[in-house]
Amino acid sequence: MMWLSGGFIFRSGNSRFHRLDPRVKLLISILTFATALIARYIYEIGLVVAFILVVAAAATVLTRIARTMALTATFSAFIFVVNFLFTRNLESSSLYAFRFVAIVVSTSLFFVTTTPDELERVMKMFRLPRDVVFAFVTAVRFVPVMMLDALQIMDAQKSRGLELDKGNILRRARNMIPILIPLVVNAVVRSGELAEAMESRAYGASERPTSLVEYRAKRVDKVVALAAVVVFLLAAYSFYSLLAPIAL
Amino acid sequence: MILEIDGLNFRYPDAPKKAVDSFSLQVPESEIVVLAGASGCGKSTLLRAINGLIPHMYAGDYSGDVRVGGSSVKASSMRELAQRVGFLFQNPENQIFMFTVERDIAFGLENLGVPRQEMRRRVDEAIGLLGIGSLAQRAPYELSDGQKQRVALAGVLAMRPKLIILDEPTSLLDPKTALDFVDLVANLRKDVGATFLIVEHRLDLLVKVADRMVVMSSGRKVLDGSPSEVLMGDEADGFGVSIPAVSRVQKLLAKDGLAGVDRLYDAEEVAAIRQRERR
Amino acid sequence: MIEFRDVAYVHPTGVRALDGVTLGIRGGETVAIVGENGAGKTTLVKHATGLLKPTSGTVTVDGVDTRDTSTAALSRKIGVAFQNPDHQLFSESVEEEVAFALRNFGFSRELVEGRVSWGLELFGLAEYRRSSPLILSGGEKKRLTLACILAWDPAVVILDEPTVGQDALQKEKLGETIRMLSSTGKTVVVVSHDIEFLWPLQPRVVVMKAGRVVADGPAKSVMMMGQALDSARVAEPHLVTLYRALAQRPDSPFVGPHEARAWIEGGSAPH
Repeated sequence: MMWLSGGFIFRSGNSRFHRLDPRVKLLISILTFATALIARYIYEIGLVVAFILVVAAAATVLTRIARTMALTATFSAFIFVVNFLFTRNLESSSLYAFRFVAIVVSTSLFFVTTTPDELERVMKMFRLPRDVVFAFVTAVRFVPVMMLDALQIMDAQKSRGLELDKGNILRRARNMIPILIPLVVNAVVRSGELAEAMESRAYGASERPTSLVEYRAKRVDKVVALAAVVVFLLAAYSFYSLLAPIAL
Repeated sequence: MILEIDGLNFRYPDAPKKAVDSFSLQVPESEIVVLAGASGCGKSTLLRAINGLIPHMYAGDYSGDVRVGGSSVKASSMRELAQRVGFLFQNPENQIFMFTVERDIAFGLENLGVPRQEMRRRVDEAIGLLGIGSLAQRAPYELSDGQKQRVALAGVLAMRPKLIILDEPTSLLDPKTALDFVDLVANLRKDVGATFLIVEHRLDLLVKVADRMVVMSSGRKVLDGSPSEVLMGDEADGFGVSIPAVSRVQKLLAKDGLAGVDRLYDAEEVAAIRQRERR
Repeated sequence: MIEFRDVAYVHPTGVRALDGVTLGIRGGETVAIVGENGAGKTTLVKHATGLLKPTSGTVTVDGVDTRDTSTAALSRKIGVAFQNPDHQLFSESVEEEVAFALRNFGFSRELVEGRVSWGLELFGLAEYRRSSPLILSGGEKKRLTLACILAWDPAVVILDEPTVGQDALQKEKLGETIRMLSSTGKTVVVVSHDIEFLWPLQPRVVVMKAGRVVADGPAKSVMMMGQALDSARVAEPHLVTLYRALAQRPDSPFVGPHEARAWIEGGSAPH
């Protein structure tokens, strides 16, 4: 949970990279992801990761990306061990392990630099149904609110003598009941209130809802997007062949 | 008349009693009406019958008629009603949907498909009316309770409703912030000429700005008059309405032969009258 | 009973919520903590039961530093009723809800049985004994949370914004409950910005502003402080405004109707 929130939840930042059109940021993420997939040697993966780190540094999110990397390491060690047990091949096993790290950080780069607002825009761009996009928006919007709820519930129950970290695993799991039930009840009540407020503000009234903010790619976005594609093609070429079977 | 309610009855499915019982009310344009009564007296149900959540979202036994701006609520769509009646719910948190203040204010207009330029104009207008220009780009979790309240109200105002319902708007605010909010409502009435229907327990705050006070009990209308008629009268006490302490004292001053206490004054005014009396 | 000595608390986010609070609450006192939202009232309360530990300074309860004990142990002495009952009600029945804390504190079966009945009786909830707490009205839920706390008989009862969302009748009942608690020797701390509710109780009033205590004394003197209250964004009781307006003219001392004057000075509103 913690590494997820560290590596995938947006926190405000204002670097040049942050200000890029979200579609361009998504493109960069997808291309680095793809490059990691077609890489056939560890040093190639190393290049991809180095590239991501340079971009992360430029976007002032290097620490967060580095933390994501460190936390991914456990999982990637697991991948290495499992692979090695089956294939007995040191090189391919480490390639898989490193590739996993590269894939995670390339995805993480997009999520930590893209506001929920921009995410919504990207979702709309893919023509996802409005209800799906809105459900996503509300879910993200109310994460901090529900976290606050959870903290207040924990305070209230601790004040009634509940000791969360006491006893064996079974007991601890049971200790969560007084926290979870109010949390769910509150969420249900909240969703009822949200539904009323949505109705009262004409949600779903028009077949073609409009948008206050207009999104147009700036020149810098186009240049960066083009550069990203060129870099990707060069990388792909230098990894020899796009047509070669993925991995070994 | 902006709001006309004729003999409204509403009973929720499976409920033993009617939540609203033979309720009638006429509200002329630009009035500020306070709706008071004990918890569970049917205020919330009545409000929902005015903005159309009843019967469009909640079904039940419905009879009688509610008209806003001349057209029947029952026969109108939520799309039309959303533009006619604004509803500020008790908890502002649960009516702010978007990640930035500005986009949330536009939420209703986006839903209606209002063209971008027109939308921009109306959003800016609402921001101006509430003096929240500095908050336009903030995220909801960066706002204080008072600010959230204003943002939620801006979202309501952007729809340019004729009638605005406020459901216990100050219950989560501290007293000074609540007073600021009440002043804001008084100014809005002047600036946009909207009619306000306010449910509130803290009557002391509203005495100054309200034109009229309606008291409900068990789904019925039991008192309807100017705030002074209602609060200086002897009946309101019995309906779970909190009579401001000052009103109680004023009543006594009046009994004591203090002339001129036929309407409600605030404390300073009472003192001034008392002063004149003594000379 | 509870001693705050130069307590500062800095949130993990860097916000200084308490900034050098020194405050002693004696046994049997009724204390109101007032101040605008964000002044640090709730943060202060959470320090009393060790839910928060001070960044610097010390909080002691009956001489024991809150750092050296647990929230469970402190809660046995100090019962806190938080603002929103929905943040704690979870049991299948009202009686189970009351019994929850008693079992946590290790009360015997008979004692739990007796205390639950007593608490429900006291707050007029006996008829709901086997109902789900979720079907109760707002006022009843509030009373249930109080029953939950009083059932384990803590020496101190802290109420955090008890009047929010409560109507006139419910507030009246709350006021009666607080008087009852004071008269039975409990220490009562009410955190509230509802000055009109607090005034008739005539508590000791502690005014907080930006994490500091800016005034502390009997309601009658603190509520007369005009400017100090204004700067802490605390509204003075309407009766006080009236009293001041009538009394402060040099040419004409206050000679209101005898009855009215008695109420104002006695702090209670006529009925």
